[in-house]
Amino acid sequence: MIEYVLMIITVLGAIIALMQRDLLKAAILTGIPGVSIAFLFQYLLAPDVALTQAIVGSAIVPVFIAITVLKTRKTEEEIK
Amino acid sequence: MDLNALIAVMIILPIASALFLNLLHKKDRTIKIIAIITAVVLPIIPLLTPYGSHFFGGYLPLAQNSTLAQGLPAIITGTQLSQFHLGIMYVFSSAQQLMIFILGIITFFAIFTFINETKKPSGVYAFLLFMGTASLSAILLSDDIFNLFVFFEIAALAQVGIVVASGIKDNYETALKYILIGNIAGPLLLLGIVMLLGVTGNVNVTDMIFSIKNGFVDPQSPVLLMALSLITFGWLYASGLPPFHTIKSEVYSKALPHGAALIQAFSVFTLVAIGIIIIRLFSYNPFTHIAIIGISVIAMILGITMALMQTDYKRILGYLAVGELGYIGIGLGLGTALGITAGLFQAINESVITSFLFIGFGTVLYKTRTSDTKKLGGMMYVNPKVALLVLLAGLAMAGVPPLNAFQSKLMLIQASIQSGLPEIGIIMILLSIVTFMTFMKAFYTVYMRPKPKELEVLDNKIPKSTIISLVAFLIICITLGLFPQIATSSLQTLAAGLV
Amino acid sequence: MVVDSQLMSFFTAGSLIVIGIFAALFLDNLIKKIIGLAFLGDGVNLFIITMGYKPGGIVYIFLPDMTISNFAQTSAYPLPFALVLTNIVIGASTLAVILGLVLILNKRHGSLSASKILRDKGE
Repeated sequence: MIEYVLMIITVLGAIIALMQRDLLKAAILTGIPGVSIAFLFQYLLAPDVALTQAIVGSAIVPVFIAITVLKTRKTEEEIK
Repeated sequence: MDLNALIAVMIILPIASALFLNLLHKKDRTIKIIAIITAVVLPIIPLLTPYGSHFFGGYLPLAQNSTLAQGLPAIITGTQLSQFHLGIMYVFSSAQQLMIFILGIITFFAIFTFINETKKPSGVYAFLLFMGTASLSAILLSDDIFNLFVFFEIAALAQVGIVVASGIKDNYETALKYILIGNIAGPLLLLGIVMLLGVTGNVNVTDMIFSIKNGFVDPQSPVLLMALSLITFGWLYASGLPPFHTIKSEVYSKALPHGAALIQAFSVFTLVAIGIIIIRLFSYNPFTHIAIIGISVIAMILGITMALMQTDYKRILGYLAVGELGYIGIGLGLGTALGITAGLFQAINESVITSFLFIGFGTVLYKTRTSDTKKLGGMMYVNPKVALLVLLAGLAMAGVPPLNAFQSKLMLIQASIQSGLPEIGIIMILLSIVTFMTFMKAFYTVYMRPKPKELEVLDNKIPKSTIISLVAFLIICITLGLFPQIATSSLQTLAAGLV
Repeated sequence: MVVDSQLMSFFTAGSLIVIGIFAALFLDNLIKKIIGLAFLGDGVNLFIITMGYKPGGIVYIFLPDMTISNFAQTSAYPLPFALVLTNIVIGASTLAVILGLVLILNKRHGSLSASKILRDKGE
């Protein structure tokens, strides 16, 4: 049953991340689908891929995006 | 089918050299020497390599490999599984030899002009050029469609890098646009590849064809049709056929002349490599050929007519290059042995001629620092030798005898009449005339009309190496024009295998 | 409720792909576009993994107490998994390149809006 929950979290998490108005929140929320996909990989009999995805999807990608947001935020505020 | 390590060297050498050059920063002399040595060796390796195939990991299929098959159960050795290739396979035959040789020649002259035109050659730029060449060699050689995808991504990144490194106005915007589109097209191409994997259980093209031909897979399966359309989408992106012709010609125009020469060679050879794989896999489906011909005709018409409306000569060349891609696509789409030979021959001619034109017009950029035809003029009096060479290149592109594109376009027209599609022959002749007109218009405004007063011609001399490159390209054009059988005889075997 | 979990997983992958393409094409903010592209890559990865999955199967690790034929019949298909590992790395590295380009362009234009940055200047 856990896999259905994970699938729903994945899709909802993706939609919620894209609906955020605050870009930093959006960047952090990108990790939710990343992590739940990693768990799904584990369920789908791919433990080695799950390990990689857990690191890349939950840490590297959101952090990269968040750093970009933080670095660009200053110029955004100046324009407003 | 013996193992052949030199085939792997064709990819390993440029990658190793590229990685090494990347480490050297500000050591100008070392960079020059290493880059030139690698560039000289690159076209020589394919000439020395005997034909054959290379298996990474060294495992033959189980049917030919009795030691590995020992002790395996009958559900593996007794079925078609024993025919499948284990690991990545590279195939090297006469057609690949010719194409990698031409790619090596273009890389050599791109590196040669880059090193002599730039005062401080950067190792990173040479890294990008070599990485692109390595990935294109791999795309041409690889029989493994996922391996092809990996190198497709590397080639796309290398092209973005070449655009970013050019320093021309607005190059970052173009690079971002190209990589954003590429990041949609890449995963979709992968999706097509894995659909093929899902249906046939394999990523090796030879094995997939074996599965489809021998009835292990239903050829009418809708998943295969879906895979065809997704792979075609990736193919269109990589080669810059419509709807991607605008972005691709923009990429050409935002790169430095030697970079643009190499990028267009990348597009031509990606078009050929992935096009051949599409035809090999899906030729049972008549829709494939119709789709390829349709796309190619649209590419020709759009590319060449849009070239007429441009005012930047690099954009003109970019659109003309896209238009010429259409000829190759038509050759592949006709599906007859003559048609495919003509298409491949046209691919080789076009990659040479377009590099010739990009580097030739690059001298104008070198002398004036502008590429706007409205501001240019009178370059003929500045350097008549280069002007003559560029004119000859333009004539070659339009298909004037005795230069090389004449032979391939003649073959294409013969092939289209032979397959009962004379209309396409007529379109090709008409568009050749329009190409000629477009080129002459650009040539007139840049070279022949009186020089505008505001135009400042810089006092730097055009390096001898650039002129040597142009003359070398001209020699290749004339040789292939007078003796087309040099190229066609190598290409015929591949073409005959595809029918 | 009995729904095939493999089929559901395919649907999840499909919806991630659709969400990703939608975000990449129709959202104006570059960061949102990039997040969409990351979801597109995740969706494709999930699709490939689901393809290799075998309901009721075992993980593709050959332990000493298994027989070859039993292993061949029950294990999941490992080839797609190997492809995904490569694709995850490719996706992360392209993402880094795009983010670098965005940083430079943002410095120049002072904006993250795609329509502002990528506006065609005299096609």
